[in-house]
Amino acid sequence: MKADKNVLIFLLSSIGLIVFPHVYHIPATVFGFFCLLLAWRFIGIWNQHWLPNKPVIFLLAVCGMALLYSQHQGIFGRDAGTNLFITALGLKLLEIKKERDLYLISYLAFIVAASQFLYEQNILMAAYILLVCCLLLATLVCINSCKAQTLAALKTAAIIIVQALPIAVALFILFPRVDAPRWMVFNQQRHDRMGLSDSMEPGSISDLGVSEELVFRVKFAGAIPPQRQRYWRGPVLSRTDGKRWTQAAFYEPLSSPVVTGTAYQYTLLMEPQDKNWVFALDMPKEFSPSLSLNAAYQLITLESPDKRAEYKVTSYTDYNTGLINRSEYKAATQLPGEPSDKIKQLVSRLHGFDSPPDNFIKQLLNHFRVEDFHYTLTPPVMEENPIESFLFNTRYGFCSHYASAFVYLMRVAHIPARVVTGYQGGELNKVGDFLEIRQADAHAWAEVWLESRGWVRVDPTAAIAPERIERDISVDRQFVYGIAGENSQAYNWLKQARQLWSSVDYNWQRWVINYNNKSQSKFLSSFGISDLKTMIYWMIIIIGSITAVLCWFLFYQKSKTTDQVLLSYNRFCKKLAKHGLFRGAGEGAKDFAERVKIKLPEQAADIDQITAVFINLRYGRTATGEDLQQLKALVGLFRA
Amino acid sequence: MNVKERFRLSRFVSGEKAVDTPVTLNHRRIFILPTQRGLGFVALIALLLLIAFVYNNNLAYLLTFLLASVFFITILHSYRSLSGLVVQKGRSKAVFAGEAAGFEIHINNPTDMERHHLQIKLQDSQSLTLQAQSSVHITLYSMTQRRGWHQAGTVTLFSTFPLGLFRAWSPIRFNLNVLVYPKPAHFEIAFPKAPSAQVQQGVSQQGADDFYGLQAYQPGDSIKHIHWKAFAKGLGVFSKKYGGEQSSEEIRLDYDDAPGHTVEERLSQLCRWVVDAEQAGLSYGFALPGLKLPPDNGLLHYRKCLEALALF
Repeated sequence: MKADKNVLIFLLSSIGLIVFPHVYHIPATVFGFFCLLLAWRFIGIWNQHWLPNKPVIFLLAVCGMALLYSQHQGIFGRDAGTNLFITALGLKLLEIKKERDLYLISYLAFIVAASQFLYEQNILMAAYILLVCCLLLATLVCINSCKAQTLAALKTAAIIIVQALPIAVALFILFPRVDAPRWMVFNQQRHDRMGLSDSMEPGSISDLGVSEELVFRVKFAGAIPPQRQRYWRGPVLSRTDGKRWTQAAFYEPLSSPVVTGTAYQYTLLMEPQDKNWVFALDMPKEFSPSLSLNAAYQLITLESPDKRAEYKVTSYTDYNTGLINRSEYKAATQLPGEPSDKIKQLVSRLHGFDSPPDNFIKQLLNHFRVEDFHYTLTPPVMEENPIESFLFNTRYGFCSHYASAFVYLMRVAHIPARVVTGYQGGELNKVGDFLEIRQADAHAWAEVWLESRGWVRVDPTAAIAPERIERDISVDRQFVYGIAGENSQAYNWLKQARQLWSSVDYNWQRWVINYNNKSQSKFLSSFGISDLKTMIYWMIIIIGSITAVLCWFLFYQKSKTTDQVLLSYNRFCKKLAKHGLFRGAGEGAKDFAERVKIKLPEQAADIDQITAVFINLRYGRTATGEDLQQLKALVGLFRA
Repeated sequence: MNVKERFRLSRFVSGEKAVDTPVTLNHRRIFILPTQRGLGFVALIALLLLIAFVYNNNLAYLLTFLLASVFFITILHSYRSLSGLVVQKGRSKAVFAGEAAGFEIHINNPTDMERHHLQIKLQDSQSLTLQAQSSVHITLYSMTQRRGWHQAGTVTLFSTFPLGLFRAWSPIRFNLNVLVYPKPAHFEIAFPKAPSAQVQQGVSQQGADDFYGLQAYQPGDSIKHIHWKAFAKGLGVFSKKYGGEQSSEEIRLDYDDAPGHTVEERLSQLCRWVVDAEQAGLSYGFALPGLKLPPDNGLLHYRKCLEALALF
């Protein structure tokens, strides 16, 4: 078979489009190899003799296998599988002999399209793949048409896809979801994701990258707490060597915190993470059973963090954690060595040694405020003695610098203190009424233990850059995007569009991407569908009714002939057809009448009359509206 | 149609009993089964489902379900590619054994939908695209082997439109019969001598094909003998006259005179004589055991003779 040129162009373009987004996911060599093969095949459409012959194809196949082998990924697993299918697809392209080959290629392309979803699951990718699948189906339509008409084929494919969508959605909702058994799950290579780490070294950072990547979303059941109380607690860092802050060993807390005040109920939708941290509002009290609270009051998930997950948490913003034990006290006052005289002088000048902790905190925050301290995302590097050089020399820094310096000075004054990292604030999406917390909202603050109040949060950054804490839009983002007047109309419009998009995306994540066996059983049980049997019944009922609607849509056809004369005469013919009398193709009305009269001699008069009136109406010059009425009446009365 | 007939397997392949009337394709006539490619598509869906399951990936699930749904919907579209068509038999012409008999079939599309890539098959398949509200006449050929009545068998209308995943087909049996004359013998053997014939000197007996001269056309002359070249040059209408014609004698083609070892060989030879005699414009009598036709010529006589040969 010589494949039609149009079909080939169609097929190759859609394959190019399908593989294209993989440019970010597969090794450049594999992608390059595929591009070479695709380009070769494209040229081959017009220059058939340039296509490789059998030995060359074999050589290319060996090259492909060598390429795959050199990636050291085996043949199972996401990356290896994707590479394998893309290489196979490329090689198969060069060997199109029969119609069957075209089909095989299309099927391979569908698999590659599906593999796209293993990397990206956003709404745009879904729409893109849907479009490309439409192109692929159009290719199949082209193959099955006499003449490949591009537009007509595209239209047919689009119609089929649109008609297929309702059943696909019904299947999606009702198809029972079961988690794959452990042995089937391939170990995936972890990809680096930005995020909080379990240590902090403010002195070594000269430029804090601000990423707009989403970390989690929060939907509150009731009121949303004010911005200055929205501290999302992450890892607590107590151990320091003067430069680097790390988590201390875990210890059991003395007592669970006593909570008072407003309870905030909310649902956290965490994006995939590397660490099993769940960022709850200070102080979480009630939470999903899959979570646990560690000794530093941080929520830890027991599930795998590399999937999107939803958690229900209740937090109270007023709390008292009570007493601490000896080991905790020791960790919270640990110093890397004897503090320098300069530091000691500063602490004593701020009455660190001779006044209650409350007072010292106030003095220190005031010191940050009145002295020449600056908030910046691009601080100078402070390799040696970062805390001292920050406090006395550079005085430029961001939250980590302030938090670590603050905690250090507290410890010098023998007040238990530690650094808490996490996220602060979050942007309210007014469309979907939820908070979005992005990497740019990452923050570090301090916690001080006071005898009567337990661990108390103190945010020294708030003293120096209150807008970082108070305002709806973070200053970081303003720095990054250089947006001057945030009230300008264009900005508002932009913000609204962004929020609308985020809201759509949130619902997409929540209802489509994150639809698992748990949410399925919850969703379905609200309709009274609780077990597998009813699920299957419902599946059959819904698919059956969609099919019925489709059938009606597809097969119900109103006769488009508006010619009343012809319609009446056709009705007459239909009556005769019941007696096995069919008007032949191209048989005139008169001849037909003669033939019929022989079979039905009793109705000869009627038949003659109807035929005469019909001929007059159709071909005569003197036909009137009355004649039509007469024909209608005659046909109506005619009994064969 | 009773239940037993309804479930007879032959309905799927060779169709219902032969009819003369037009056949409208409906749910009773149209059958649909997946093609090999369709089964491949099912395998693809299974593979995608496995991928979606292992990675617990909802969008992969969605794609899988979409393709499964497309597969399902295609059944309806396959049905629609044939439904509503009206198929009617047309005329057919008698042929000599060994030739392909042509059967005319009319397909009418009274609906508003264009039918892409409709295929129709008797022995070889032809494909066509039928516009909305239109009809088409096509001739299907069937090879004949033996003289006598030749039945065309089942005409199958099929389509793999739109995606090639399903084949919708409709086997239709019409009373498509054609008379097949015996195959004319290869050898030219002289006409048998009529016992009463007076042999004229100088005129060759077997020279029926010898060109003798031109003569002004007279009504009744065979159309084959018109000298078209002269007509094309504007010289008027002339008939070619052949040697044999000059003899006013009549020949008698008798079964008993035909050489041959078997009945078929004899019939074959007779057939050859009839064809030659008709072409030569001779007046020929015809005799088979149990049948005797007086000498005559012309299309009607010619057909009568050949029919008798075909059905002997």
